[in-house]
Amino acid sequence: MAIFNLKNREIECKIVYYGPGRSGKTTNLEYIFKTFKKQVTDQLVTIDTEGDRTLFFDFLPMGLGKIRGCDVRVQLYTVPGQVQYSSTRKLVLKGADGIVFVADSFAIRRDKNMLSLKDLDLNLKECGLNIFKTPLVLQYNKRDMSSSADGSIPIMSVETMQNDLNRQLKAPYFPASALTGEGVGKTLKESLKLTLLNLHKELKWAQK
Amino acid sequence: MSIKEQIKSILQEAEIYRTQGLLNEAMIKYKIAAELIEKNVKIESGQALVDGITKKIELLKETISKYNDPDKTPKMPVEIQNLIKDKFSFSDDKESAVLEGAIALSKFGQFERAITEFSELLKNDSLRLVAAKNIIRCYFATSSVDGALSQYEQWLKSGIFHAGQIEKIRLFLENLLKDKGIERRLPLADITADISKEKVVPEETTFEKPVSESMVDIPEQEEMEEDEFLDINSVGIAITTGSQRRQEVVLDVAFQSGKSVSLIVPGREKILIEKFKVGLKLDDVQFYSPIAILNGSGVISAFTKISSGPKMGSYSLDLKIFT
Ligand SMILES: Nc1nc2c(ncn2[C@@H]2O[C@H](COP(=O)(O)OP(=O)(O)OP(=O)(O)O)[C@@H](O)[C@H]2O)c(=O)[nH]1
Ligand SMILES: [Mg+2]
Repeated sequence: MAIFNLKNREIECKIVYYGPGRSGKTTNLEYIFKTFKKQVTDQLVTIDTEGDRTLFFDFLPMGLGKIRGCDVRVQLYTVPGQVQYSSTRKLVLKGADGIVFVADSFAIRRDKNMLSLKDLDLNLKECGLNIFKTPLVLQYNKRDMSSSADGSIPIMSVETMQNDLNRQLKAPYFPASALTGEGVGKTLKESLKLTLLNLHKELKWAQK
Repeated sequence: MSIKEQIKSILQEAEIYRTQGLLNEAMIKYKIAAELIEKNVKIESGQALVDGITKKIELLKETISKYNDPDKTPKMPVEIQNLIKDKFSFSDDKESAVLEGAIALSKFGQFERAITEFSELLKNDSLRLVAAKNIIRCYFATSSVDGALSQYEQWLKSGIFHAGQIEKIRLFLENLLKDKGIERRLPLADITADISKEKVVPEETTFEKPVSESMVDIPEQEEMEEDEFLDINSVGIAITTGSQRRQEVVLDVAFQSGKSVSLIVPGREKILIEKFKVGLKLDDVQFYSPIAILNGSGVISAFTKISSGPKMGSYSLDLKIFT
Protein backbone atom coordinates (compact mmCIF):
# COMPACT_ATOMS: atom_id res chain seq x y z
CA MET A 1 0.00 0.00 0.00
CA ALA A 2 1.83 3.04 -1.21
CA ILE A 3 1.79 6.06 1.01
CA PHE A 4 1.11 9.33 -0.76
CA ASN A 5 1.62 12.67 0.69
CA LEU A 6 0.33 14.94 -2.02
CA LYS A 7 0.97 18.09 -0.08
CA ASN A 8 4.68 17.40 0.25
CA ARG A 9 4.60 15.55 -3.06
CA GLU A 10 6.06 12.40 -1.56
CA ILE A 11 5.37 8.83 -2.46
CA GLU A 12 6.56 5.73 -0.66
CA CYS A 13 6.05 2.30 -2.13
CA LYS A 14 6.87 -1.26 -1.23
CA ILE A 15 8.47 -3.96 -3.35
CA VAL A 16 8.64 -7.49 -1.99
CA TYR A 17 11.15 -10.12 -3.09
CA TYR A 18 9.36 -13.46 -3.00
CA GLY A 19 10.49 -16.97 -3.87
CA PRO A 20 11.39 -20.37 -2.44
CA GLY A 21 13.92 -20.76 0.36
CA ARG A 22 17.56 -20.27 -0.63
CA SER A 23 16.75 -18.86 -4.06
CA GLY A 24 18.80 -15.72 -3.46
CA LYS A 25 16.37 -13.03 -2.28
CA THR A 26 18.59 -11.79 0.52
CA THR A 27 21.61 -11.94 -1.79
CA ASN A 28 19.75 -9.63 -4.20
CA LEU A 29 19.25 -7.06 -1.47
CA GLU A 30 22.83 -7.40 -0.31
CA TYR A 31 24.05 -6.70 -3.81
CA ILE A 32 21.72 -3.71 -4.19
CA PHE A 33 22.89 -2.36 -0.86
CA LYS A 34 26.53 -2.63 -1.95
CA THR A 35 26.05 -1.26 -5.43
CA PHE A 36 23.40 1.43 -5.34
CA LYS A 37 25.02 3.46 -2.59
CA LYS A 38 23.62 6.73 -3.87
CA GLN A 39 20.04 5.56 -3.72
CA VAL A 40 20.23 3.57 -0.52
CA THR A 41 19.07 5.77 2.33
CA ASP A 42 19.74 3.59 5.34
CA GLN A 43 21.20 0.32 6.54
CA LEU A 44 20.11 -3.02 5.18
CA VAL A 45 18.22 -4.70 7.96
CA THR A 46 18.46 -8.48 7.89
CA ILE A 47 17.23 -10.76 10.59
CA ASP A 48 18.84 -14.12 10.14
CA THR A 49 18.49 -17.33 11.95
CA GLU A 50 21.35 -19.80 11.93
CA GLY A 51 22.61 -20.70 8.53
CA ASP A 52 21.70 -17.31 7.06
CA ARG A 53 18.11 -18.22 6.33
CA THR A 54 15.78 -15.30 6.62
CA LEU A 55 13.53 -15.83 9.59
CA PHE A 56 11.40 -12.70 9.35
CA PHE A 57 12.32 -10.34 6.55
CA ASP A 58 15.04 -8.13 5.14
CA PHE A 59 14.44 -4.45 4.69
CA LEU A 60 16.22 -1.91 2.54
CA PRO A 61 14.99 1.68 2.10
CA MET A 62 15.92 3.60 -1.05
CA GLY A 63 15.31 7.06 -2.40
CA LEU A 64 14.95 7.53 -6.12
CA GLY A 65 14.92 11.30 -6.07
CA LYS A 66 12.32 13.33 -7.92
CA ILE A 67 10.22 11.65 -10.55
CA ARG A 68 7.80 13.99 -12.29
CA GLY A 69 7.95 16.37 -9.42
CA CYS A 70 7.37 13.74 -6.77
CA ASP A 71 9.90 12.59 -4.24
CA VAL A 72 9.87 8.82 -4.67
CA ARG A 73 10.96 6.48 -1.93
CA VAL A 74 10.86 2.73 -2.17
CA GLN A 75 11.27 0.07 0.44
CA LEU A 76 12.53 -3.35 -0.52
CA TYR A 77 11.58 -6.38 1.55
CA THR A 78 12.33 -10.06 1.30
CA VAL A 79 10.13 -12.76 2.71
CA PRO A 80 11.42 -15.93 4.36
CA GLY A 81 11.22 -18.55 1.64
CA GLN A 82 11.07 -21.65 3.79
CA VAL A 83 7.67 -23.28 3.71
CA GLN A 84 7.10 -23.18 7.47
CA TYR A 85 7.19 -19.38 7.65
CA SER A 86 3.92 -18.97 5.84
CA SER A 87 2.29 -16.54 8.24
CA THR A 88 5.34 -14.27 8.22
CA ARG A 89 5.28 -14.27 4.44
CA LYS A 90 1.69 -13.12 4.46
CA LEU A 91 2.48 -10.38 6.91
CA VAL A 92 5.41 -9.09 4.89
CA LEU A 93 3.47 -9.28 1.64
CA LYS A 94 0.71 -7.09 2.98
CA GLY A 95 0.64 -3.74 1.28
CA ALA A 96 3.12 -4.68 -1.47
CA ASP A 97 2.95 -2.47 -4.54
CA GLY A 98 5.23 -4.64 -6.64
CA ILE A 99 6.75 -8.10 -6.49
CA VAL A 100 10.01 -9.65 -7.67
CA PHE A 101 9.80 -13.41 -7.78
CA VAL A 102 13.28 -14.91 -7.41
CA ALA A 103 13.33 -18.44 -8.81
CA ASP A 104 16.17 -20.88 -8.31
CA SER A 105 17.74 -22.19 -11.53
CA PHE A 106 18.85 -25.42 -9.87
CA ALA A 107 16.88 -28.23 -11.50
CA ILE A 108 16.51 -29.84 -8.11
CA ARG A 109 14.45 -26.83 -6.97
CA ARG A 110 12.04 -26.96 -9.90
CA ASP A 111 9.01 -28.01 -7.85
CA LYS A 112 9.86 -25.57 -5.08
CA ASN A 113 9.78 -22.67 -7.55
CA MET A 114 6.34 -23.67 -8.75
CA LEU A 115 5.00 -24.23 -5.25
CA SER A 116 6.28 -20.87 -4.12
CA LEU A 117 4.64 -19.10 -7.05
CA LYS A 118 1.38 -20.84 -6.17
CA ASP A 119 1.81 -19.74 -2.59
CA LEU A 120 2.32 -16.17 -3.81
CA ASP A 121 -0.86 -16.37 -5.85
CA LEU A 122 -2.84 -17.60 -2.85
CA ASN A 123 -1.44 -15.03 -0.49
CA LEU A 124 -2.12 -12.21 -2.92
CA LYS A 125 -5.69 -13.42 -3.21
CA GLU A 126 -5.99 -13.25 0.54
CA CYS A 127 -4.90 -9.62 0.35
CA GLY A 128 -7.60 -9.12 -2.28
CA LEU A 129 -5.04 -8.84 -5.09
CA ASN A 130 -4.78 -10.57 -8.43
CA ILE A 131 -1.39 -11.90 -9.51
CA PHE A 132 -2.09 -10.94 -13.11
CA LYS A 133 -2.76 -7.35 -12.16
CA THR A 134 0.06 -6.95 -9.65
CA PRO A 135 3.31 -5.52 -11.00
CA LEU A 136 5.44 -8.66 -11.11
CA VAL A 137 8.92 -9.41 -12.42
CA LEU A 138 10.52 -12.85 -12.50
CA GLN A 139 14.19 -13.45 -11.90
CA TYR A 140 15.88 -16.72 -12.80
CA ASN A 141 18.75 -16.68 -10.36
CA LYS A 142 22.06 -18.51 -9.99
CA ARG A 143 22.73 -18.51 -13.75
CA ASP A 144 26.44 -18.33 -12.90
CA MET A 145 26.22 -21.99 -11.95
CA SER A 146 25.34 -23.03 -15.49
CA SER A 147 28.90 -22.34 -16.52
CA SER A 148 30.39 -24.04 -13.47
CA ALA A 149 33.59 -25.66 -14.64
CA ASP A 150 32.70 -29.30 -14.17
CA GLY A 151 29.03 -28.83 -14.96
CA SER A 152 28.13 -31.00 -12.00
CA ILE A 153 25.02 -29.01 -11.14
CA PRO A 154 21.95 -29.61 -13.24
CA ILE A 155 20.59 -26.18 -14.16
CA MET A 156 17.27 -25.57 -15.88
CA SER A 157 17.22 -23.78 -19.18
CA VAL A 158 15.51 -20.41 -19.29
CA GLU A 159 12.91 -21.98 -21.61
CA THR A 160 12.06 -24.62 -19.03
CA MET A 161 11.66 -21.98 -16.35
CA GLN A 162 9.59 -19.80 -18.64
CA ASN A 163 7.36 -22.75 -19.35
CA ASP A 164 7.05 -23.70 -15.69
CA LEU A 165 6.47 -20.27 -14.25
CA ASN A 166 5.70 -17.68 -16.84
CA ARG A 167 3.53 -19.36 -19.46
CA GLN A 168 0.38 -17.66 -18.29
CA LEU A 169 1.77 -14.71 -16.39
CA LYS A 170 3.89 -13.42 -19.25
CA ALA A 171 5.75 -11.19 -16.83
CA PRO A 172 9.09 -9.58 -17.66
CA TYR A 173 11.88 -11.99 -16.68
CA PHE A 174 15.60 -11.75 -16.15
CA PRO A 175 18.28 -14.43 -15.92
CA ALA A 176 20.52 -13.28 -13.10
CA SER A 177 23.21 -14.05 -10.61
CA ALA A 178 22.63 -12.29 -7.35
CA LEU A 179 26.10 -13.40 -6.30
CA THR A 180 27.91 -11.62 -9.14
CA GLY A 181 25.23 -8.96 -9.54
CA GLU A 182 24.42 -9.89 -13.10
CA GLY A 183 20.79 -8.97 -13.81
CA VAL A 184 20.10 -7.70 -10.30
CA GLY A 185 19.89 -4.04 -11.27
CA LYS A 186 17.84 -4.85 -14.36
CA THR A 187 15.35 -6.80 -12.31
CA LEU A 188 14.98 -4.01 -9.79
CA LYS A 189 14.66 -1.29 -12.42
CA GLU A 190 11.97 -3.17 -14.31
CA SER A 191 10.09 -3.79 -11.09
CA LEU A 192 10.29 -0.11 -10.15
CA LYS A 193 9.11 0.89 -13.57
CA LEU A 194 6.09 -1.40 -13.48
CA THR A 195 5.25 -0.55 -9.89
CA LEU A 196 5.38 3.21 -10.39
CA LEU A 197 3.44 2.99 -13.65
CA ASN A 198 0.78 0.98 -11.92
CA LEU A 199 0.56 3.42 -9.02
CA HIS A 200 0.35 6.24 -11.49
CA LYS A 201 -2.52 4.53 -13.29
CA GLU A 202 -4.31 4.03 -10.00
CA LEU A 203 -3.69 7.40 -8.50
CA LYS A 204 -2.64 9.72 -11.28
CA TRP A 205 -0.11 11.28 -8.94
CA ALA A 206 2.26 12.41 -11.63
CA GLN A 207 -0.22 14.59 -13.48
CA LYS A 208 -0.92 17.15 -10.86
CA MET B 1 31.02 -41.67 -17.41
CA SER B 2 32.69 -44.33 -15.33
CA ILE B 3 31.06 -45.27 -12.06
CA LYS B 4 33.86 -43.52 -10.24
CA GLU B 5 33.34 -40.29 -12.12
CA GLN B 6 29.62 -40.57 -11.58
CA ILE B 7 30.08 -40.85 -7.83
CA LYS B 8 32.53 -37.99 -7.81
CA SER B 9 30.08 -35.81 -9.65
CA ILE B 10 27.22 -36.67 -7.30
CA LEU B 11 29.39 -35.87 -4.30
CA GLN B 12 30.33 -32.52 -5.82
CA GLU B 13 26.69 -31.77 -6.39
CA ALA B 14 25.88 -32.67 -2.80
CA GLU B 15 28.67 -30.41 -1.60
CA ILE B 16 27.36 -27.42 -3.55
CA TYR B 17 23.83 -27.93 -2.26
CA ARG B 18 25.22 -28.06 1.24
CA THR B 19 27.08 -24.77 0.87
CA GLN B 20 23.94 -23.21 -0.60
CA GLY B 21 21.97 -24.24 2.44
CA LEU B 22 19.91 -26.74 0.45
CA LEU B 23 20.39 -29.32 3.16
CA ASN B 24 17.70 -31.83 2.25
CA GLU B 25 18.88 -31.86 -1.35
CA ALA B 26 22.47 -32.36 -0.18
CA MET B 27 21.41 -35.25 2.03
CA ILE B 28 19.57 -37.01 -0.80
CA LYS B 29 22.63 -36.77 -3.03
CA TYR B 30 24.96 -38.07 -0.32
CA LYS B 31 22.69 -41.03 0.20
CA ILE B 32 22.63 -41.80 -3.51
CA ALA B 33 26.42 -41.61 -3.61
CA ALA B 34 26.76 -43.91 -0.60
CA GLU B 35 24.43 -46.47 -2.16
CA LEU B 36 26.33 -46.41 -5.44
CA ILE B 37 29.61 -47.01 -3.62
CA GLU B 38 28.19 -49.88 -1.60
CA LYS B 39 26.83 -51.54 -4.73
CA ASN B 40 30.19 -51.33 -6.39
CA VAL B 41 32.46 -53.33 -4.13
CA LYS B 42 35.31 -52.87 -6.56
CA ILE B 43 35.88 -49.28 -5.52
CA GLU B 44 39.04 -49.10 -3.50
CA SER B 45 38.73 -47.69 0.01
CA GLY B 46 34.98 -47.78 -0.58
CA GLN B 47 34.18 -48.40 3.06
CA ALA B 48 36.17 -45.39 4.22
CA LEU B 49 34.32 -43.25 1.71
CA VAL B 50 30.95 -44.53 2.88
CA ASP B 51 31.91 -43.85 6.49
CA GLY B 52 32.88 -40.29 5.59
CA ILE B 53 29.57 -39.76 3.81
CA THR B 54 27.59 -41.24 6.67
CA LYS B 55 29.22 -38.73 8.98
CA LYS B 56 28.24 -35.89 6.68
CA ILE B 57 24.68 -37.13 6.58
CA GLU B 58 24.57 -37.24 10.37
CA LEU B 59 25.85 -33.68 10.56
CA LEU B 60 23.24 -32.54 8.06
CA LYS B 61 20.50 -34.23 10.05
CA GLU B 62 21.65 -32.41 13.15
CA THR B 63 21.68 -29.06 11.42
CA ILE B 64 18.26 -29.63 9.89
CA SER B 65 16.70 -30.50 13.20
CA LYS B 66 18.34 -27.47 14.76
CA TYR B 67 16.76 -25.26 12.10
CA ASN B 68 13.40 -26.86 12.57
CA ASP B 69 13.38 -26.10 16.27
CA PRO B 70 10.14 -24.15 16.36
CA ASP B 71 10.53 -22.14 19.53
CA LYS B 72 13.71 -20.41 18.61
CA THR B 73 12.70 -16.81 18.16
CA PRO B 74 15.63 -14.48 18.45
CA LYS B 75 15.14 -11.41 20.53
CA MET B 76 15.44 -8.46 18.21
CA PRO B 77 17.17 -5.21 18.96
CA VAL B 78 14.79 -2.41 19.88
CA GLU B 79 15.43 -0.62 16.58
CA ILE B 80 14.13 -3.57 14.63
CA GLN B 81 11.12 -3.86 16.89
CA ASN B 82 10.47 -0.18 16.21
CA LEU B 83 10.80 -0.81 12.50
CA ILE B 84 8.22 -3.58 12.68
CA LYS B 85 5.88 -1.45 14.70
CA ASP B 86 6.21 1.31 12.16
CA LYS B 87 6.19 -0.65 8.91
CA PHE B 88 3.53 -3.22 9.67
CA SER B 89 0.78 -0.87 10.66
CA PHE B 90 -1.32 0.51 7.88
CA SER B 91 -4.11 2.50 9.50
CA ASP B 92 -4.27 6.28 9.42
CA ASP B 93 -5.94 6.31 12.79
CA LYS B 94 -3.18 6.49 15.36
CA GLU B 95 -4.61 4.06 17.86
CA SER B 96 -5.57 1.43 15.29
CA ALA B 97 -2.03 1.78 13.97
CA VAL B 98 -0.61 1.08 17.42
CA LEU B 99 -2.84 -1.98 17.58
CA GLU B 100 -1.68 -3.26 14.20
CA GLY B 101 1.93 -2.63 15.12
CA ALA B 102 1.52 -4.54 18.37
CA ILE B 103 -0.17 -7.44 16.59
CA ALA B 104 2.71 -7.54 14.09
CA LEU B 105 5.23 -7.57 16.94
CA SER B 106 3.48 -10.53 18.50
CA LYS B 107 3.37 -12.32 15.16
CA PHE B 108 7.10 -11.85 14.91
CA GLY B 109 7.42 -13.43 18.32
CA GLN B 110 8.33 -10.21 20.15
CA PHE B 111 5.85 -10.84 22.92
CA GLU B 112 7.38 -8.75 25.67
CA ARG B 113 7.47 -5.68 23.51
CA ALA B 114 4.01 -6.44 22.16
CA ILE B 115 2.64 -6.52 25.72
CA THR B 116 4.13 -3.09 26.33
CA GLU B 117 2.45 -1.78 23.19
CA PHE B 118 -0.91 -3.41 23.91
CA SER B 119 -0.78 -2.03 27.43
CA GLU B 120 -0.68 1.48 26.00
CA LEU B 121 -4.04 0.80 24.40
CA LEU B 122 -5.71 -0.13 27.67
CA LYS B 123 -6.26 3.59 28.12
CA ASN B 124 -8.49 3.64 25.08
CA ASP B 125 -12.05 2.70 25.80
CA SER B 126 -12.86 1.13 22.44
CA LEU B 127 -9.60 -0.80 22.13
CA ARG B 128 -9.24 -1.84 25.77
CA LEU B 129 -10.82 -5.24 25.38
CA VAL B 130 -8.94 -6.24 22.22
CA ALA B 131 -5.71 -5.05 23.77
CA ALA B 132 -6.37 -7.03 26.95
CA LYS B 133 -7.17 -10.22 25.06
CA ASN B 134 -4.00 -9.84 23.04
CA ILE B 135 -1.96 -9.33 26.17
CA ILE B 136 -3.37 -12.59 27.49
CA ARG B 137 -2.50 -14.28 24.20
CA CYS B 138 1.06 -13.02 24.45
CA TYR B 139 1.43 -14.56 27.89
CA PHE B 140 0.12 -17.85 26.57
CA ALA B 141 2.43 -17.69 23.57
CA THR B 142 5.39 -17.45 25.93
CA SER B 143 3.89 -20.31 27.95
CA SER B 144 3.49 -17.99 30.88
CA VAL B 145 0.12 -19.06 32.21
CA ASP B 146 1.07 -17.59 35.57
CA GLY B 147 1.78 -14.28 33.92
CA ALA B 148 -1.67 -14.27 32.36
CA LEU B 149 -3.33 -15.13 35.66
CA SER B 150 -1.56 -12.49 37.66
CA GLN B 151 -2.25 -9.97 34.93
CA TYR B 152 -5.95 -10.82 35.17
CA GLU B 153 -5.94 -10.45 38.91
CA GLN B 154 -4.17 -7.15 38.66
CA TRP B 155 -6.75 -5.89 36.16
CA LEU B 156 -9.50 -7.06 38.44
CA LYS B 157 -8.12 -4.94 41.23
CA SER B 158 -7.22 -1.94 39.11
CA GLY B 159 -10.81 -1.32 38.05
CA ILE B 160 -9.88 -0.05 34.60
CA PHE B 161 -12.37 -2.40 32.95
CA HIS B 162 -16.14 -2.20 33.02
CA ALA B 163 -17.92 -5.17 34.52
CA GLY B 164 -18.91 -6.37 31.04
CA GLN B 165 -15.37 -6.13 29.77
CA ILE B 166 -13.74 -7.94 32.66
CA GLU B 167 -16.34 -10.66 32.31
CA LYS B 168 -15.39 -11.14 28.68
CA ILE B 169 -11.74 -11.30 29.60
CA ARG B 170 -12.52 -13.86 32.27
CA LEU B 171 -14.36 -16.08 29.78
CA PHE B 172 -11.61 -15.64 27.25
CA LEU B 173 -8.93 -16.60 29.73
CA GLU B 174 -10.89 -19.55 31.09
CA ASN B 175 -11.29 -20.85 27.54
CA LEU B 176 -7.60 -20.57 26.83
CA LEU B 177 -6.89 -22.39 30.08
CA LYS B 178 -9.37 -25.08 29.13
CA ASP B 179 -7.54 -25.55 25.82
CA LYS B 180 -4.45 -26.22 27.87
CA GLY B 181 -6.35 -28.76 29.94
CA ILE B 182 -6.59 -26.47 32.95
CA GLU B 183 -10.08 -26.28 34.44
CA ARG B 184 -10.21 -23.24 36.59
CA ARG B 185 -12.85 -20.85 37.88
CA LEU B 186 -11.35 -17.40 37.96
CA PRO B 187 -12.39 -14.80 40.49
CA LEU B 188 -15.24 -12.59 39.31
CA ALA B 189 -15.35 -8.85 39.14
CA ASP B 190 -16.58 -7.18 42.28
CA ILE B 191 -19.92 -5.98 40.92
CA THR B 192 -20.79 -3.81 43.90
CA ALA B 193 -17.59 -1.88 43.54
CA ASP B 194 -18.36 -1.41 39.89
CA ILE B 195 -21.86 -0.14 40.48
CA SER B 196 -20.75 2.39 43.02
CA LYS B 197 -18.15 3.56 40.56
CA GLU B 198 -20.73 3.87 37.86
CA LYS B 199 -22.78 6.19 39.98
CA VAL B 200 -19.95 8.65 39.87
CA VAL B 201 -19.15 8.26 36.19
CA PRO B 202 -22.21 7.17 34.25
CA GLU B 203 -21.10 5.17 31.27
CA GLU B 204 -22.69 3.05 28.61
CA THR B 205 -21.57 -0.11 30.36
CA THR B 206 -24.93 -0.69 31.96
CA PHE B 207 -26.19 -1.89 28.60
CA GLU B 208 -23.44 -4.39 28.15
CA LYS B 209 -24.65 -7.85 28.96
CA PRO B 210 -21.98 -10.40 29.75
CA VAL B 211 -24.09 -13.08 28.10
CA SER B 212 -23.40 -11.76 24.62
CA GLU B 213 -20.32 -13.91 24.13
CA SER B 214 -22.12 -17.18 24.67
CA MET B 215 -25.18 -16.08 22.70
CA VAL B 216 -23.08 -15.36 19.67
CA ASP B 217 -21.31 -18.65 20.08
CA ILE B 218 -18.20 -18.05 18.07
CA PRO B 219 -15.33 -20.46 18.54
CA GLU B 220 -12.16 -18.93 19.95
CA GLN B 221 -10.11 -20.25 17.02
CA GLU B 222 -11.79 -17.79 14.79
CA GLU B 223 -10.63 -15.00 17.00
CA MET B 224 -7.07 -16.17 16.76
CA GLU B 225 -7.07 -15.62 13.05
CA GLU B 226 -9.20 -12.56 13.04
CA ASP B 227 -6.47 -10.04 12.47
CA GLU B 228 -5.76 -11.53 9.05
CA PHE B 229 -9.04 -10.18 7.73
CA LEU B 230 -9.50 -7.37 5.19
CA ASP B 231 -9.67 -3.77 6.31
CA ILE B 232 -13.24 -2.57 6.16
CA ASN B 233 -14.19 1.09 5.82
CA SER B 234 -17.93 0.88 6.00
CA VAL B 235 -20.71 -1.64 6.28
CA GLY B 236 -24.00 -1.64 4.40
CA ILE B 237 -26.90 -3.23 6.21
CA ALA B 238 -30.03 -4.01 4.21
CA ILE B 239 -33.34 -3.52 5.97
CA THR B 240 -36.91 -3.81 4.86
CA THR B 241 -38.98 -0.80 5.81
CA GLY B 242 -42.70 -0.74 6.59
CA SER B 243 -43.68 -0.45 2.94
CA GLN B 244 -41.63 -3.61 2.28
CA ARG B 245 -39.02 -1.60 0.44
CA ARG B 246 -35.51 -2.79 0.79
CA GLN B 247 -33.12 -0.10 1.89
CA GLU B 248 -29.44 -0.16 2.57
CA VAL B 249 -28.06 1.86 5.41
CA VAL B 250 -24.32 2.42 5.21
CA LEU B 251 -22.54 2.79 8.53
CA ASP B 252 -18.96 3.87 9.07
CA VAL B 253 -16.54 1.58 10.82
CA ALA B 254 -15.19 3.21 13.95
CA PHE B 255 -12.84 0.42 14.71
CA GLN B 256 -11.96 -2.99 13.38
CA SER B 257 -10.20 -5.91 14.90
CA GLY B 258 -10.02 -8.65 12.33
CA LYS B 259 -13.46 -10.08 11.86
CA SER B 260 -15.07 -7.82 14.36
CA VAL B 261 -16.11 -4.27 13.54
CA SER B 262 -17.49 -1.48 15.67
CA LEU B 263 -20.02 0.73 13.93
CA ILE B 264 -21.65 3.96 14.94
CA VAL B 265 -25.41 4.01 14.44
CA PRO B 266 -26.67 7.60 14.43
CA GLY B 267 -29.55 8.23 16.80
CA ARG B 268 -31.82 9.17 13.89
CA GLU B 269 -31.77 5.59 12.51
CA LYS B 270 -34.77 4.74 14.62
CA ILE B 271 -35.80 1.65 12.64
CA LEU B 272 -32.38 0.09 13.02
CA ILE B 273 -32.13 0.96 16.67
CA GLU B 274 -35.47 -0.66 17.39
CA LYS B 275 -34.52 -3.79 15.55
CA PHE B 276 -30.99 -4.30 16.78
CA LYS B 277 -30.19 -6.39 19.79
CA VAL B 278 -27.30 -8.50 20.93
CA GLY B 279 -27.33 -11.92 19.29
CA LEU B 280 -29.34 -10.79 16.27
CA LYS B 281 -28.07 -12.25 13.01
CA LEU B 282 -27.99 -9.94 9.98
CA ASP B 283 -28.11 -11.90 6.76
CA ASP B 284 -27.68 -9.26 4.11
CA VAL B 285 -24.59 -7.24 4.83
CA GLN B 286 -22.09 -5.63 2.47
CA PHE B 287 -18.58 -5.01 3.68
CA TYR B 288 -16.79 -2.22 1.83
CA SER B 289 -13.02 -2.40 1.86
CA PRO B 290 -10.63 -0.33 -0.28
CA ILE B 291 -10.01 -3.30 -2.54
CA ALA B 292 -13.22 -5.27 -2.58
CA ILE B 293 -16.84 -5.39 -1.59
CA LEU B 294 -17.81 -8.53 0.22
CA ASN B 295 -21.23 -9.94 0.79
CA GLY B 296 -21.82 -11.67 4.03
CA SER B 297 -23.61 -11.77 7.28
CA GLY B 298 -22.90 -10.78 10.82
CA VAL B 299 -24.00 -11.23 14.36
CA ILE B 300 -24.43 -8.32 16.74
CA SER B 301 -22.16 -8.94 19.68
CA ALA B 302 -22.69 -5.65 21.48
CA PHE B 303 -25.11 -2.75 21.14
CA THR B 304 -24.91 0.16 23.49
CA LYS B 305 -26.06 3.74 23.65
CA ILE B 306 -23.27 6.26 23.81
CA SER B 307 -24.06 8.44 26.79
CA SER B 308 -21.26 10.96 26.72
CA GLY B 309 -18.88 12.72 24.37
CA PRO B 310 -19.43 14.07 20.87
CA LYS B 311 -21.28 10.94 19.72
CA MET B 312 -23.75 11.09 22.60
CA GLY B 313 -27.15 9.79 21.58
CA SER B 314 -25.73 7.53 18.88
CA TYR B 315 -25.27 3.84 19.39
CA SER B 316 -22.15 1.75 19.25
CA LEU B 317 -22.64 -1.58 17.55
CA ASP B 318 -20.18 -4.46 17.45
CA LEU B 319 -20.62 -6.86 14.60
CA LYS B 320 -18.92 -10.22 14.17
CA ILE B 321 -18.42 -10.84 10.47
CA PHE B 322 -19.19 -14.03 8.61
CA THR B 323 -18.25 -14.19 4.95
N1 LIG C 1 26.09 -19.47 -7.12
C1 LIG C 1 25.16 -18.65 -6.68
N2 LIG C 1 24.74 -18.73 -5.40
C2 LIG C 1 23.79 -17.87 -5.00
C3 LIG C 1 23.22 -16.92 -5.86
N3 LIG C 1 22.28 -16.24 -5.17
C4 LIG C 1 22.29 -16.74 -3.92
N4 LIG C 1 23.21 -17.72 -3.81
C5 LIG C 1 23.53 -18.51 -2.61
O1 LIG C 1 22.35 -19.20 -2.23
C6 LIG C 1 22.26 -19.28 -0.81
C7 LIG C 1 20.94 -18.70 -0.36
O2 LIG C 1 20.88 -17.31 -0.68
P1 LIG C 1 19.94 -16.29 0.12
O3 LIG C 1 20.04 -14.98 -0.57
O4 LIG C 1 20.22 -16.35 1.56
O5 LIG C 1 18.53 -16.96 -0.18
P2 LIG C 1 17.10 -16.49 0.29
O6 LIG C 1 16.23 -16.54 -0.89
O7 LIG C 1 17.18 -15.18 0.99
O8 LIG C 1 16.70 -17.66 1.30
P3 LIG C 1 15.63 -17.64 2.50
O9 LIG C 1 15.93 -16.46 3.32
O10 LIG C 1 15.81 -18.93 3.22
O11 LIG C 1 14.29 -17.56 1.86
C8 LIG C 1 23.46 -18.53 -0.27
O12 LIG C 1 24.45 -19.48 0.04
C9 LIG C 1 23.90 -17.66 -1.44
O13 LIG C 1 25.26 -17.38 -1.42
C10 LIG C 1 23.68 -16.87 -7.22
O14 LIG C 1 23.24 -16.09 -8.05
N5 LIG C 1 24.63 -17.77 -7.56
MG1 LIG D 1 16.66 -14.57 2.80
